[in-house]
Amino acid sequence: MSNNKYWQSLEQFEETPEFKEQANKEFIEELPVFDYVDDATKVESTGRRDFLKMMGISFSAAAIVSSCKIPVNKAVPYVFNLDQSSRIPELMPGVADYFASSYAEGGDFMSVLVKTRENRPIKIEGNTAAPLSKGGTTGRAQASVLGLYDITRLTQPKKKGDSITWEQADTEIANKLASIATSGGKIVVLTNTNYSLATKKALEVFKAKYPTTEVVTYDPISLYAIRKANQTTLGSAIIPTYLFDKAQVIAGFNCDFLGAWVNTTENARRYITNRVPSKENPNMSRHYQFQSNVTITGSKADYKYAIKPSQEKAVLIALYNKLAGTTLASVNIGELQAGVDKLAAELLANKGASIVVSGTNNVDIQLLTNAINGLLGNYGSTIDTTAALNLKQGNDEALKALSDDTSVKAILLVGANPVYDSAFSEKFKNIISKAELSVSFADRVDESAELVQYITPDSHYLESWDVLEPKKGFIAFVQPTINPLFDTRQAAVSLIEFAGDTTTAHDLAQSVGLPFTTNFPTLLGNTAWESALQAGFVASLNEVATGAANVSATIAAINTTLPTSKGLELVVFESIPLGDGKYSNNPYLLEMPDPITRVSWDNYIALPYTFAINNGIQAMSQASTVKTAKVTVNGKEIILPVVISYGQAQDTIAIALGFGRSEGVGQAAFGAGENAYPLIKFDNGTISYAVDGVTYETLNETRKIGLSQRYHTLQEDSNLPGRPRRYRSNIVKEANLTDYRKSDSAGNEDRASIKEHLTTLYKSYDSLGHHWSMAVDLNACIGCGACVISCNVENNIPVIGRKEMSNTRSMHWMRIDRYYSGDPDNPDVAFQPLMCQHCDNAPCENVCPVNATSHSSEGLNQMAYNRCIGTKYCANNCPFKVRKFNWYDYQGGDAFGAWNDHTDATYMLNDLTRMVLNPDVTVRSRGVMEKCTFCVQRIQSAKLTAKSDGRKLKDGEIQTACQTACPTGAITFGDRNDKNSEIHHIFYDSGRNYHLYEEQHFLPNVGYQVKIRNTDEKPNFTFIGALEEKA
Amino acid sequence: MRVYFCSVKSKIAMSNCRNGFKIIFLLFALASILPFKAYAYNPTESFDDLSNPDIAARVEEGKKLFKANCAACHKVEGKLLGPGLADIWTLWETQERLIKWVHNSQEMINSGDAQAVKLFNENNKLVMPPFPQLSNEQVVSILEYYVQAEQKKLFDAKPAAGGATAQKDATIGGEAAGDSTPNKWILITIIGVLAIVAITLYSVTSKLDRLVQEKATGEIAEEGSIASKILNKKLLGAIVILGIVFLGYNIVRGAIDLGRSQGYAPEQPIKFSHALHAGQNKIDCQYCHSGAEKSRHAVIPSVAVCMNCHKYVQEGPKFGNKEIAKIYEYSGWDPESSTFKNAPKPIQWVKVHNLPDYVYFNHSQHVKVGGIECQTCHGNVQEMEVVQQFAPLSMGWCINCHRQTDVQFANNDYYSIFEKYHDEIKKGERSGVTVNDIGGTECAKCHY
Repeated sequence: MSNNKYWQSLEQFEETPEFKEQANKEFIEELPVFDYVDDATKVESTGRRDFLKMMGISFSAAAIVSSCKIPVNKAVPYVFNLDQSSRIPELMPGVADYFASSYAEGGDFMSVLVKTRENRPIKIEGNTAAPLSKGGTTGRAQASVLGLYDITRLTQPKKKGDSITWEQADTEIANKLASIATSGGKIVVLTNTNYSLATKKALEVFKAKYPTTEVVTYDPISLYAIRKANQTTLGSAIIPTYLFDKAQVIAGFNCDFLGAWVNTTENARRYITNRVPSKENPNMSRHYQFQSNVTITGSKADYKYAIKPSQEKAVLIALYNKLAGTTLASVNIGELQAGVDKLAAELLANKGASIVVSGTNNVDIQLLTNAINGLLGNYGSTIDTTAALNLKQGNDEALKALSDDTSVKAILLVGANPVYDSAFSEKFKNIISKAELSVSFADRVDESAELVQYITPDSHYLESWDVLEPKKGFIAFVQPTINPLFDTRQAAVSLIEFAGDTTTAHDLAQSVGLPFTTNFPTLLGNTAWESALQAGFVASLNEVATGAANVSATIAAINTTLPTSKGLELVVFESIPLGDGKYSNNPYLLEMPDPITRVSWDNYIALPYTFAINNGIQAMSQASTVKTAKVTVNGKEIILPVVISYGQAQDTIAIALGFGRSEGVGQAAFGAGENAYPLIKFDNGTISYAVDGVTYETLNETRKIGLSQRYHTLQEDSNLPGRPRRYRSNIVKEANLTDYRKSDSAGNEDRASIKEHLTTLYKSYDSLGHHWSMAVDLNACIGCGACVISCNVENNIPVIGRKEMSNTRSMHWMRIDRYYSGDPDNPDVAFQPLMCQHCDNAPCENVCPVNATSHSSEGLNQMAYNRCIGTKYCANNCPFKVRKFNWYDYQGGDAFGAWNDHTDATYMLNDLTRMVLNPDVTVRSRGVMEKCTFCVQRIQSAKLTAKSDGRKLKDGEIQTACQTACPTGAITFGDRNDKNSEIHHIFYDSGRNYHLYEEQHFLPNVGYQVKIRNTDEKPNFTFIGALEEKA
Repeated sequence: MRVYFCSVKSKIAMSNCRNGFKIIFLLFALASILPFKAYAYNPTESFDDLSNPDIAARVEEGKKLFKANCAACHKVEGKLLGPGLADIWTLWETQERLIKWVHNSQEMINSGDAQAVKLFNENNKLVMPPFPQLSNEQVVSILEYYVQAEQKKLFDAKPAAGGATAQKDATIGGEAAGDSTPNKWILITIIGVLAIVAITLYSVTSKLDRLVQEKATGEIAEEGSIASKILNKKLLGAIVILGIVFLGYNIVRGAIDLGRSQGYAPEQPIKFSHALHAGQNKIDCQYCHSGAEKSRHAVIPSVAVCMNCHKYVQEGPKFGNKEIAKIYEYSGWDPESSTFKNAPKPIQWVKVHNLPDYVYFNHSQHVKVGGIECQTCHGNVQEMEVVQQFAPLSMGWCINCHRQTDVQFANNDYYSIFEKYHDEIKKGERSGVTVNDIGGTECAKCHY
């Protein structure tokens, strides 16, 4: 059993006195009570007369309010058109319907089920039947349902800021296009990656009508180099499918293939398949990661090496040299050579069962990984080139050419926003302003749409018909789950309308989708088309990889010239919550803490540990206060708060993309962070996201940001005399695979003796019926945060805004704690999802003065909101710090209207956005405590279904919101009293299961599975410094 | 002679048999029953023996089909839109012809079938929609098994009419049936008046006493002593204490009742009478409130449901066509041309039963799983001209019922996980399992 020191923040690492004091407190700062009262009250003490006055006023106010007439509620049944010809829809108020659909982004795709209540989409669930994502989702997919109800969306077409009708827009645009086309003028349709077959067909129709049209596709975060390199290696510019489940050794080079690359949901699922050892199969793949900035993928790796972006090529060449036994070019990579040697030996031992990937958009680097994969015989075994991905189709060279093109007469931006997210912002501003016709299909007035003549707003995907082809051999369908809320029109339909065609969205999708449905079995008397829509996809995929690579051509094409780095280097990276920024006006996403730095609502300058300390970054006495710094690249300045990212390469700075939006994008996005796109550059045929020649300067200025890892600190084991001090190694338990193979309970050896010594004064209760429990596998959790957003949407968790986040008042019912251990310059990372532990001996329950929180016979720690009077004693007594207090009425749950005089969080306070609320969960108002309920509404509903059917509840029938969202199946939920359930098996048969603070006898109903790392050494970097100080 | 004409077994046997004697018997039976028309239920008949699982299954099947297909226009006994189904066999010579009618009545009428045309004319030429989806077996399940079982129920229920139901209502609606406020206040007023009279009389008598004493002794008694006699400290104390108790009790009671609205009976946009529809016409509650078994909401029916019947029923017994005209207005129906001419409009019913947002209540849990009668919580709606809130809908009322009511423990496999209770029942240590016993009074069963 290791005694690692685990830490979350610099202050915790250095154990500053302020931090220690704050960690012991319920509220880490004094409550600003006196900010809210007038001066007179501050000075005078409350006398008897004041007391009586206040009491009198309170009584009379209560009397007046309570004698108000009870409001008259109306019950208005649905209205159906009773004409014989129209069908009355089958609709049962109070019962949810699920529709299969698809969530598509440029770099990721998942098949989803849209939950609707009373015909209103309220939740996205993964479609477990679909072969690519198999039920996995991302935070962005989960949050997309809120995007539907965004009040910033345009409600009708615009012409230079004025509202116009669709008829006017269609006529004027079609006329102008016709005149440009007849005069031979160039028409450009600029899109981001779009694998919609409906749009493809629409573009064909459009091109047929206006033959001078050119379609250019780009991606804000491009992987063009992969396609370009594969043109050489595989003979076609494709992105293959990587079968991470089939690999024994995985090597990633600046590649966040689990979080922000291409096809991450499928990658994550496959990767984890071979990363969770069990008693029956104590094996897992080994993962090496060479990284400049810290990603969730790097955090999951067994061996990590920090490399500067400019070093990546040299490391790959060194690896190639070692593998091939020849010298492609002589390189000196210093102390990294040992790691490369180790990796090379293991790759050679696992030929055909390994994967080497790089996320760098550089053709030479991609050719090098291709050569290495080819050399190892991975094509056709772990890399499937037949199942080519249609994700990330952007062409950097075409974008560059277009940006230099002065002959553009008409430009149509179909989902593209080049003024914001391309390297050629200024050039596109020029093109748009000079074009005779400029049209944007944006759903809001974004940075590009501000400049165009016409905006013809696209519908949300939950209002649209579509047929998608994310991968060869896989067709997915998108069907509307609600009528368009506003007068918007799907982009594909707009395109064909401009071409004079009047096909509807449904007919367009059906005409595209029908060929694929012909061999689909008809279900329940439906046609093949309806059956395919009902399933959400049609697939003919082969699990066996095929493909072969031309290694010699690949090697011949590599330019081995190494980059010469000039000083400090900068990496701009894709943020896990926001992605490329397209959906950045989603407050759920903005409030989701970054998995690594735990910052929300802003981007920041991430610095490596030693560099930061050397540059004057120090522990701060106040939580969420950080220093700011200025970074200058090629004369462009950017000032942002500074956050330490442990494990980032020295002399490397990282800044996230997707922030810094304009006012037109929306209330939430505007003012959040700075735009880092201007820092990217076009270099040697591709867009480069790493630049050198950077100057850095720490400013003498601090800023409060939503930094959620400084608070909610779990206390150390114990400072009791006579007991060894443990640095939270009872919170995160880990072991390495070698030890695990020897003993199922490796890393968890102390549990047996703890359990022996447990005793209690309390009476024990029979657990008669169910006993709900949850297991979280620390090996399977990749920290992506899909569960956090899913929980938000399911449980009506409010968005509280930047100010309140920085006031350390996060409302998330579940958070993913990120722990570091070991060398602060390259530490090990562990993610630990933490929600209410539903302790059977709950410390919160017996301190409530009004019995608002109590225990159920099914093991739930219940919270009755309407009983809570807000003393917050429970939060004070919760060792896990998972109880959250409503300081404001964030969602308009108050009967007397929101009284939010000191908060700016009004994102959820309008009738449209409130449509996303789950009607089965109470909307909490100001002054009550709340916390995870184990999705009791889902438990109750599943129990009711079983009772109605007169059968036993099946294991797995109840899935909590976090569980369904998880792309890797890290969360298991069930009835531990059911001896055949998975949770029973985990709790009673698995040596890996442990509970937090088990020695305190809280008896949590959440169990964690010991994290197993596939390393040769023990994961034991005991940090001595602080230990000695204590002794 | 007793004729078991409605016995399915005998009838199927007869129609399938070529035995001449049986045909003669059948004809005789017809001849003997037709002139009387009225059918007398025979409780000794074997097919409605519900302890036989086969028969029970068919009765259940018939019940479901009846509710889904027939209940809109037919009752078991007595006429609704169409004739009562108890008499239906007597109208047809053979089973085949009846089934043919059910499958497509219009076809029979158009073919000029005399009996069909007669039936059509007798029932105001209302078109019975065709039901080709029902199999012959299913029609028999409805018209024989279910209708017979219902008749048996009615027959059995007659001697002890209403007794059991009334008692049940009294226990559960206890809080409702308790103190009737006006009586209490009358009582208080009377006591008050009597007290004043008593005090006045006492002062008068004591004054007279004093005068008598004055006359007798010639001395003038002290005035103050009278007041001190009446309002001595003890009496005053008692009055003050009683006053505080009385006021306190009423303030607390009043405060507890704040926000409750038992007896709330708002005026509705249409004077819809449950007494007429559910009481007199015996339309099943769930014909309109179709969500009660399927959803958390019992559902207020859309005007489409009204129009199922009111396309044909154009006049009511109390308000004539005035209220029904409102339905036509809402649904867009034009009775002149018998078409939906205008766009439908929503009816804004006033919600009678309001639960706070923080309470989760599910109808199907109670109606389908718990087998609770609608009347248990809603009172005898079938007797209400205007619906009113019968129960207080307070948490105490919910909890009380959860403590007293047994769950349907034995017949539902879901509850098999409660092995301890099953053992106790087997051993005879326990007679039933209340909702409370399986955790039905815990917070998160209703508040989440």
